[in-house]
Amino acid sequence: MTDALETFRQEVRTWLDGAVPRDWRETCATHAGFLAVQRSWFATLAAGGYAVPHWPAPWPGGGRSLAEQKVIYEELARADTPRLLLSFMSTYHAASTLFEWGSAEQQAHYIPRILEGEIWCQGFSEPNAGSDLANVRTRAERRGDVYVVNGQKLWSTMGQFADQCLLLVRTSNEGAKQAGLTYLLLDLKTKGVTARPIHQIHGDEEFAELFLDDVEVPVANRLGNEGQGWAVAQSTLSSERGLTLLELGARMRGALWRIADLIRANGRDGDVGLLRDVGRLATRVDATCALADQFLANRIAGEERVGDASLVKLSYSRTLREFTALGLRIGGLDAQYHQPIIFGGGMETGNWMADFMNSYAWTIAGGSDEVQRNIISERLLGMPREPKSWVTEARS
Amino acid sequence: MTMTRAELQGAARQAFGEGGLTPHAEKSWSLIAEMGWLMMAVPETQGGLGLGREAVGVIHTELGHALVPGPAIAQMLVIEALSAAEDSPERDDLLARAMGGEMMTASLSSGRKVDCVPDADRASHLLVMAADRVALVPLAGATITPRDTWDKTRRLFDVDVTGDGVTLATGDAAVALGRRIETQLLFALAGDSLGGADAILELTVDYLKTRRQFDRPLALFQALKHRVADMKTWLSAAEALFWSRALDTDATLDEIGALKAHATSVYRAIAEDAIQLHGGIGLTMEHHCHLFLKRATLNAVLGGDTDYWEEQAGRQLLQAG
Repeated sequence: MTDALETFRQEVRTWLDGAVPRDWRETCATHAGFLAVQRSWFATLAAGGYAVPHWPAPWPGGGRSLAEQKVIYEELARADTPRLLLSFMSTYHAASTLFEWGSAEQQAHYIPRILEGEIWCQGFSEPNAGSDLANVRTRAERRGDVYVVNGQKLWSTMGQFADQCLLLVRTSNEGAKQAGLTYLLLDLKTKGVTARPIHQIHGDEEFAELFLDDVEVPVANRLGNEGQGWAVAQSTLSSERGLTLLELGARMRGALWRIADLIRANGRDGDVGLLRDVGRLATRVDATCALADQFLANRIAGEERVGDASLVKLSYSRTLREFTALGLRIGGLDAQYHQPIIFGGGMETGNWMADFMNSYAWTIAGGSDEVQRNIISERLLGMPREPKSWVTEARS
Repeated sequence: MTMTRAELQGAARQAFGEGGLTPHAEKSWSLIAEMGWLMMAVPETQGGLGLGREAVGVIHTELGHALVPGPAIAQMLVIEALSAAEDSPERDDLLARAMGGEMMTASLSSGRKVDCVPDADRASHLLVMAADRVALVPLAGATITPRDTWDKTRRLFDVDVTGDGVTLATGDAAVALGRRIETQLLFALAGDSLGGADAILELTVDYLKTRRQFDRPLALFQALKHRVADMKTWLSAAEALFWSRALDTDATLDEIGALKAHATSVYRAIAEDAIQLHGGIGLTMEHHCHLFLKRATLNAVLGGDTDYWEEQAGRQLLQAG
């Protein structure tokens, strides 16, 4: 590591020493406490200039080199800081999509508000549009200067707490399913919006259902043209599959000590078979981090291929499952006794059964592992696409 | 480095791409020497090209990609040891000869025993590493016993040497040199494995696209697409780790050992499934599938086996706390 980077690391570490809220885990036992911690920690990071190191240079807090970003994420993990869950969609998904598709006016309006703490969620999935996202049926009808939206959205991360929503809607039923989609920015305080939390198997409520009943969205709040929604949505999803995983990979590597601690606590540091398992896992974590690094370097150099982001996401999701499964295995019976979860504690909290169940979030959300495997085999390996319709296929 | 990784890769792929898999041993050896690959990592002051570990990584991945036979890995260990030894006219002479293609060999096993020595019957010298002394010993007069391995792309021998040869390092310097050579061996085996894994994966995907059953290419079946997508993912992550550790001058022996264990595991898994995905043809000696599986399983045990290096990685993690 270069001296400049080491100096930067010390600078971040020193800053974090004075800035990390010490008792955040206790506070996060309740939803109200979780929200308070998330908001104040984001504000602290934003003020310190560490909230959005991945943003491009002109924006405050942005323009950090890849190496500096990694240092920040590693130090955040090392200092055991709360992971920014509430503002995750805002700083990654919303910002990346706005940088790529937003007009100058839209960027000037929304981006500074993200830094001030405005919360975004994503309204893509629906009851009948999960892996088959192009099947979106939430309808937007244009009436003068507004779209009138009706439908239901599912799996909106933090949707019950959000201010704004990245909304994928259908404006046409003509032609290919993808061609009839449009991308809107919805203010969730608009009349006709109802949000309901979804209770997950590990006890958290990180997602919401959104019900949209004659909701009016100004035409000015559209990203891209009418019918371009699929392309805009791809850039949102690609930011999740690739960009966010640099941070999550660094956090997973930073959390390996939890497994080491667990092994020592259970007096199993002489168990050679277990040492091998954990050694194999640690190398897999390193490989996933290296893949995320390479992805970002290629992206910055303009050499990203369609499907590269899927490799990173699949490598991360499978490795996270192995990580949490190994913790659960070593945890033994202790891990089977229920412990309350810490809201926003991250993917690796040491509450192993909860972590294990929560790891499905990455194998299902944002395009399931199976969807990633389709993308990898079709786009990167050039294998034939799935037949468009099984009905036609069956008849032929 | 003066050549980018992609340029070097392109040149190497061209050199070994045309001969197909397992090219002729003697022709390959001349080609390796002619291309200057043996002098790649040697400093310019010693007559080498002064390129770093990344360039060496390209060579080993390409040798693995084409299943090139011969003692290139062992030769490069000898060259590394000669390059690190103290200046002397004798050293300079041996180094120049080794870089020029005079075959010199070394053990590819992890211990201090002199086994797993490639092409010992054709080599002039053997690198011998004892706890407190590293030496280059002439093979004339040595007892050389061929060991027939399942992997026919490598020719391994047990060697019983006589004589002391030329001392390259003693005491602490020998210990340090031993670690350096071991690291180099593990790195080379990792590269060889990832090159081979890439080749057999590509061949498997091509086969699935071509082979038709039930009136459609096998590549249309999602059950098979998903398997190769997983292989591609693990391979891509292992490759990313390989290149990142190639550039990391602080990488420890244990880190390169863990990399080698990971790379050979990925190679083995891909080569193993490749036979299954090829079906009956994959079980025939005429087909190339088995060549990869055999080289993969051999790579997995050379230089210390997967169990050993995974255990070391686990111990490192526990020590780091």
